[in-house]
Amino acid sequence: MKALLSVESLVVGYHQKGILPPVEFTVSRGEVWGIIGPNGSGKSTLLKTLLGLLRPVSGKLSRHDGLTLGYVPQRTVLDLAVPARVIDVVSGGLDRGWSFLNPVYLRRHKSQIARAMQDTQVDALARQQFSTLSEGQKQRVMIARALASDPSLLVLDEPTSAMDAGAERLMFELLGELRASRDLAVLLVSHHLPVLGEFATHAIYVDRDKAFIQSGEIKAVCACQPCMTRYGNVLGGKNG
Amino acid sequence: MDDLSVQLFFESWELFREPAIAAMLLGGLLGLLGVYVVIKRMVFFSAALSQVAGLGVALSFWVKVVFGASWLTSPYLGAAATCLIAVGYIMSQRTHASGGRDSALGLIFLLGSAGTLAVGTRIVQEVQDIESLLFGSAVVVLPEDFNMVLFTVAALGVLHLWWHRGFVAVSIDAEDASVRGLRANLLEWVLLLSLAAGISVSTRVLGALPTFAFSVLPAMAALKLAPNVPRAMVIAAILGAFAGFGGYLAAFLYQLPVGASQAIVAAVLVMICGGIGALITKSQKISPSAQPAR
Repeated sequence: MKALLSVESLVVGYHQKGILPPVEFTVSRGEVWGIIGPNGSGKSTLLKTLLGLLRPVSGKLSRHDGLTLGYVPQRTVLDLAVPARVIDVVSGGLDRGWSFLNPVYLRRHKSQIARAMQDTQVDALARQQFSTLSEGQKQRVMIARALASDPSLLVLDEPTSAMDAGAERLMFELLGELRASRDLAVLLVSHHLPVLGEFATHAIYVDRDKAFIQSGEIKAVCACQPCMTRYGNVLGGKNG
Repeated sequence: MDDLSVQLFFESWELFREPAIAAMLLGGLLGLLGVYVVIKRMVFFSAALSQVAGLGVALSFWVKVVFGASWLTSPYLGAAATCLIAVGYIMSQRTHASGGRDSALGLIFLLGSAGTLAVGTRIVQEVQDIESLLFGSAVVVLPEDFNMVLFTVAALGVLHLWWHRGFVAVSIDAEDASVRGLRANLLEWVLLLSLAAGISVSTRVLGALPTFAFSVLPAMAALKLAPNVPRAMVIAAILGAFAGFGGYLAAFLYQLPVGASQAIVAAVLVMICGGIGALITKSQKISPSAQPAR
């Protein structure tokens, strides 16, 4: 599988002060990575560093050829008082770099927008106001926005935080379908290890209080002592 | 409305042409730019900048009185300089908590308004200009000011037509824009500087009160009607232009101060558009999603 993003001895934190020990891993196409850990454990800091929104305190973060990022932020990011139809939200995710200076760029890449909406099953909602949608629909629109620029790595920050168990499962199934149909790598922050464990291939467990971080195949990560202590043997049925 | 008075207004068009067109153009420009102000929840930004631009103009008058006229005493230069300093200060507070930026805007607003009044006491011979600056009571626009308005509207209009997708992206979700490789910091700087340029020229020509009104109220009105941000910009530009021209005409008809009249017309547009928006929402059946909510 083609490597997209790799980190070596990466230390994340703020103001040149690390909050977690160094970590190493490589994300490749077709893999699903979950970042797990307690609240305030450094998950979002790690995610923002991988996205390039925060500078690493030390270590190396390599973006390999073919890496293009699509980002689904937490659901509270968009201001629902700003009018936007579903098609507007998704189109807003198309531009990359300086492409916004090209007046015909949107017209030339309409097919990418249409495909993103079809893949996330929101094409029938195109003319609806984003603010009127259910939480599950909003999240699918946000994923469509991230897919509009045709990324190779889809990064999601707690995509199921506002969902019940049924909706959460549907969301993970959708991510699994997208991974397969688009040969995507997926990296997501989640609190819900039991469901994540069914879909993820790899994980990074972080715990700032215990100064602990471990990455690797999900089976190995979930077997580590801090993860077992926190979540128990959640993968017992499938991987354990 | 007295038809004879409207007729009189247009009979005297030669006299009113430049100020009325200037108000219409600046109202349209600030209406468009104001959409960013409202969606970024930075209403206080335009209030603070219009005040600090006023201080820049007042300082130019003062320098002219004390040291004599030179190119350095151009009111546009004074307004641009104070606005540039203010934008730099606001951007430096951007990485702090949002309260830091709000406090910075409060400081700029108070320095601008108090400074303008204080400088005004030192230039009694320019007191008329200071009043015009604060309340927009100027009835006449000088040819050089009119040319500056034309240049500013054309330059900022082209910039915003060309860069609007980038500006909208960073205004709605700057982190996502950064992840997609858009230069969010640069775009934010250019956006705020373009707002500062529009506000400083408008403050010099129309005054602080109508400038603040045009940079907030047409956008508020448009966002109640439009289905998305680009259409809100078009509607806000039209409403701003209407408020600029209509306010000037209303000031003539009802013998009102021009700036106050323009601000009132813009406020009335907000109420009308709010009513229309509510009616549209009510009349539209809340169409069920084509798919079941999940």
